[in-house]
Amino acid sequence: MKPPAVDYIRPQSLAEAIELLARRSDEARVLAGGQSLTAMMNLRIASPGLLIDIARLPELAVASEDGAAVTLGACITHAAIEDGRVPDPSCGLMPRVAATLSHRAVRNRGTLGGSLALSDPAAEWPVVLTALDAEIVVRGPNGRRSLKCAGFTTGIFETRLNGDEIIESVRIPKLSGDARWGYLKLCRKAGEFANALAVAIIDAGGEDRRVVIGAANGAPLVLEETSRVLAGSTDNGMREAVTADLDRAADRHLDDYQRNLLTVAAMRAVQQALQ
Amino acid sequence: MTAIRLRINGAEVAEDVPARLSLADFLRERRNLTGTHLGCEHGVCGACTILVDGEPARSCLMLAVACDEREIETIEGFAGDRVMDVLRRNFHRHHALQCGYCTPAMLITARDLILRRRAGSEREIRDGLAGNICRCTGYTNIVTAIAAAVGEIGEGGA
Amino acid sequence: MPDDVRGIGASLLRKEDERHLHGRGQFVADVKLPGTMDVAFVRSPHAHARIRGVSVPPEAKGLVFTAADLPGVKPIRVVSHSAGAKSPPWPPLATDKVRYVGEAIAACIAPSRGEAEDLAAAGTVVFEPLDPVIDPVRDMRGSRHPVHEQWGDNLYIEHVLEGGDIEAAARTAEVTVTREFRTQRQSGAPLECRGILAYRDHRLDEVVLYSSTQTPHTVRVALAEILDLEERCIRVVAPDVGGGFGPKARLYPEEIILAALALQLDHPVRWIEDRGEHLLTAAHTRDHHYKVTAYADRGGRILGVDAEIVVDAGAYGLWPQGPYHEASMVARALPGPYTFPNYRARHHTVATNKTPLGPYRGVGRPGACFVIERLIDEIARAVAREPNDVRALNLVRPEQMPFTTIGGLRLDNGDYVASVKLCAELLDLPAARARQQRGELDGRKVGIGFATFAEQTAHGAAEFASRGASIIPGFESCTARVLTDGSVVLMVGIQSHGQGLETVLSQVAAEELGIDPARISVRHGDTESTAFGFGTFASRSMVMSGGAVARAGRMLRDKLCRIGAHLLQCDLAEVRCADGVVAGPRGSVTIAEIAKVAHLRMDGLPAGVDPLLDVTATYEPGISTGVFSYATHGAVVAVDPETGFVELLDYAVAEDCGTMVNPLLVEGQIRGGVVQGIGTALYEEIPYDETGQPLAGTLADYLMPGAAEMPAIKIGHLHTPTPHTEYGMKGMGEGGAVAPPAAIANAVRDALSAIGAEVNETPISPRRVLTAIRNARDRG
Repeated sequence: MKPPAVDYIRPQSLAEAIELLARRSDEARVLAGGQSLTAMMNLRIASPGLLIDIARLPELAVASEDGAAVTLGACITHAAIEDGRVPDPSCGLMPRVAATLSHRAVRNRGTLGGSLALSDPAAEWPVVLTALDAEIVVRGPNGRRSLKCAGFTTGIFETRLNGDEIIESVRIPKLSGDARWGYLKLCRKAGEFANALAVAIIDAGGEDRRVVIGAANGAPLVLEETSRVLAGSTDNGMREAVTADLDRAADRHLDDYQRNLLTVAAMRAVQQALQ
Repeated sequence: MTAIRLRINGAEVAEDVPARLSLADFLRERRNLTGTHLGCEHGVCGACTILVDGEPARSCLMLAVACDEREIETIEGFAGDRVMDVLRRNFHRHHALQCGYCTPAMLITARDLILRRRAGSEREIRDGLAGNICRCTGYTNIVTAIAAAVGEIGEGGA
Repeated sequence: MPDDVRGIGASLLRKEDERHLHGRGQFVADVKLPGTMDVAFVRSPHAHARIRGVSVPPEAKGLVFTAADLPGVKPIRVVSHSAGAKSPPWPPLATDKVRYVGEAIAACIAPSRGEAEDLAAAGTVVFEPLDPVIDPVRDMRGSRHPVHEQWGDNLYIEHVLEGGDIEAAARTAEVTVTREFRTQRQSGAPLECRGILAYRDHRLDEVVLYSSTQTPHTVRVALAEILDLEERCIRVVAPDVGGGFGPKARLYPEEIILAALALQLDHPVRWIEDRGEHLLTAAHTRDHHYKVTAYADRGGRILGVDAEIVVDAGAYGLWPQGPYHEASMVARALPGPYTFPNYRARHHTVATNKTPLGPYRGVGRPGACFVIERLIDEIARAVAREPNDVRALNLVRPEQMPFTTIGGLRLDNGDYVASVKLCAELLDLPAARARQQRGELDGRKVGIGFATFAEQTAHGAAEFASRGASIIPGFESCTARVLTDGSVVLMVGIQSHGQGLETVLSQVAAEELGIDPARISVRHGDTESTAFGFGTFASRSMVMSGGAVARAGRMLRDKLCRIGAHLLQCDLAEVRCADGVVAGPRGSVTIAEIAKVAHLRMDGLPAGVDPLLDVTATYEPGISTGVFSYATHGAVVAVDPETGFVELLDYAVAEDCGTMVNPLLVEGQIRGGVVQGIGTALYEEIPYDETGQPLAGTLADYLMPGAAEMPAIKIGHLHTPTPHTEYGMKGMGEGGAVAPPAAIANAVRDALSAIGAEVNETPISPRRVLTAIRNARDRG
């Protein structure tokens, strides 16, 4: 299929992009890597009137770090993270996740910010960055604001991003040197969308524990009870905690198969982290 | 219509294109470079893979307008490229193609794997080819051909 | 094989490779003609509905064509000679009714495909929806709104195939195994979708169609009939075709519409199918339901099989063969290569409001193999024997050949039991069992499964006539020409779309003529420049076309020798044609020199010998019931009982296709077929919901096997040449795809044997595995 007609503009600065977006937010879409948006346009699922191309804005490609955190520009690609070309705050978790995300040709163009802005329910970054307690820095006509990644995604393809805002960067607190993590992406074919996703992180001497799942019919789901009982729990205890967490998410209408798969993913991610 | 200037296989190209035109269609319909093939137009099959600024990309998911000032390499290029020459020879020797439709993209992907030192084992090669569907060969001979090419070139394309 | 041998048996590297390695192939979308307009179709969003009106915006006048705008176009109509067959007319553009989601209603033309799609989206069609027929088992005898009202029911055809006394077998059986099986609907999904470029050639007074088809000559036959043109005014060209596998071996409405548009509009028109369209409207395949009972004695010897087979054939019949062959092929193939003497197969081919069903690598055989090989394993379990021992007990033996199975297939020769043994060796069965017993650290269960089958190939008149076919692809042809410089052109009626026929047919000619295959060109796929032939499908081309090339080659060789002997002034009996020359006792003359005499210096010809070196030969094998390749496949799987995911750890094929013309290419066909079979076994399906909507619209839903999930496929060969063909070769192109669903299902069964779970449905998806495990646990 071919897309419908569309206008295109490539602003020279982020400020210009924001100004354009504010003027035509009803019909404009921001184009970064295009790996999702172009596919949707080809299938005529998305028909924007204007594409604002931010893929090569230098402000959005910056990576920096300080003692506490790494800040990655929104247009940093999955491949750059995979290859370790940008600082890694996550003791290898983020490069590992990036390597399982779609295929290399897609990773060469797809961006961190693009993944967050779209928030496909099966996407990796919303889940992983929620587990890492990241913050998303957003720019709009009224300036910058910072949103916690946890809660940034509000539903299937729904986020707290306003129609006139662009993600500028993601600030990710560094894990300590002896942090442990587990990551599981369950799918049948390498590179396809996850059938179930789970990330488990244990840090700060075991005090900081977070288990987050994705491909769960909505926003990334923090498994609060599972995170609580994480260490020092039996398999059965763990399973009960996951079940309790999933029961609390009944509005997602997960069928038995999905619940089972998410449970398995969560438990295996935790086992990985505990090893 | 938007004016774009880009390099394709080393040559400067300047044209006016509608924004909705994909890079794949720009190459195939406007530049008559038909070696890049379309198998799905939603980024899954990989048949449209070309190089953008030296890196593999799916030309069906790129707009021509977004390629202003970029460097594009298609299967019609790679003149004098040693890794591509060795790959082509080994694809031929090991019967790594049948209908030929996936072949240009498969070669470009394989070349990238070798240059990034990601073709060191059968497992690595298979994982690296996951984004390129072949319906004819069953993949065994493609993997053999790439491994043989690595053997000839040495890892990293040195 | 010495390096200088280039004929039969040489693993010659392919001539086709050069252009494809450089992106210089010419697929239909690569052919450019000035002034071409692109076509997009308005397609039905409903599975079953009356069309109450089509409205076209005023600016689209003259750019949108409905059936009413192409009055000279007749409907497609399959003719079947099978008793009771019902054949519905299929208007290429829907007239008063649509019968499947995707059925074409109007063609829109524009300077680009995107603009044509804009037009297609701008019009409106008013529908009155009807109840769709979705369940072929439930609705075969009738429904509130039958697919074809004039029928009264929803049956294309039904039939009973019986032999022996199945009731007696049932009475005397000590073991009875009954199962239901299901092979889900899928797509053949070649990587290149369909495509057509059509234009009028005024110089030649022809309408020309470039089409990504496997069967150009028969497409021409159909177009002539449907458009009421003489065949001499139609040219069909299959250029490079990016995979066919069966779905491109049928006439499609789009071919008719594009030809009609080209005639009416007098500028080129082009339709390049996209993947969504392909998954929706190119022939669907493999959609079968089975309920089967096997009767055996306590030693595991099968006494008889009683089968109920339902084929979900979709809304219309694809020309030329329609849906009639699928169920009858299944019925005939279901007894496999086994010798049991009692059989009944009641088969029903049902019309539903879904995409029409067509052939795909193996056609009825993968389903038939799935059924009988699963039953073999269940019988083995019931009698506490190894499945391969039960196989060996029931398989036909070499000394029984030729053997006509109770399904009516006349197996010509071969040692099937030897293939079972060889496959187990290739798989290293003892090591696989040891691994299975050790258990996996990650908790997965390892299983091993096998499947044996016979592949009917190069079958002709007897077989197709028994299927009631009105077109009998019982021969092939070759026009062979030596040019004045001694180079050779072979013009053949088959169409190579990945099989390497440009290479292997050159090998055959080289074998007969004694010249280098590099000096031989093979022309195929073009009705203008090739002798009539049926195309490439049914594993026929090597035998049929190769046979025609061999005959033509020998005719040329004889003439070359006659002329050569004359030039050498010796007796015909004293000369030999080899290594590019005709050699006699006192010297030799090159083929080029002979060719010059035959064309440019005909005064040098012997009396009674006409000029030219140009012959046409046809060929059919010695028997038309088919020559049978066979194989045993073995699979080792690891099943994760928590997730239902199945991984293939190993896969082996022990096969026999008689004489291999090019072993390298034979192995390529096997591996390609196996991976397609793995796709059927584990990944590929197009489900339909209760309103008749197909649910796999992109490759994100329709999963195709990728390199990361496939094992390296081991191959071993047996060699039993057949006496009925040139060189003893047999066809083998489809076989690889026949056994994987059975072998993998048996392996999964083996892996989960402690739990007692079995999956008798393809694809063996994680959901189905977990459901089977849950069912087994509930049964206690």
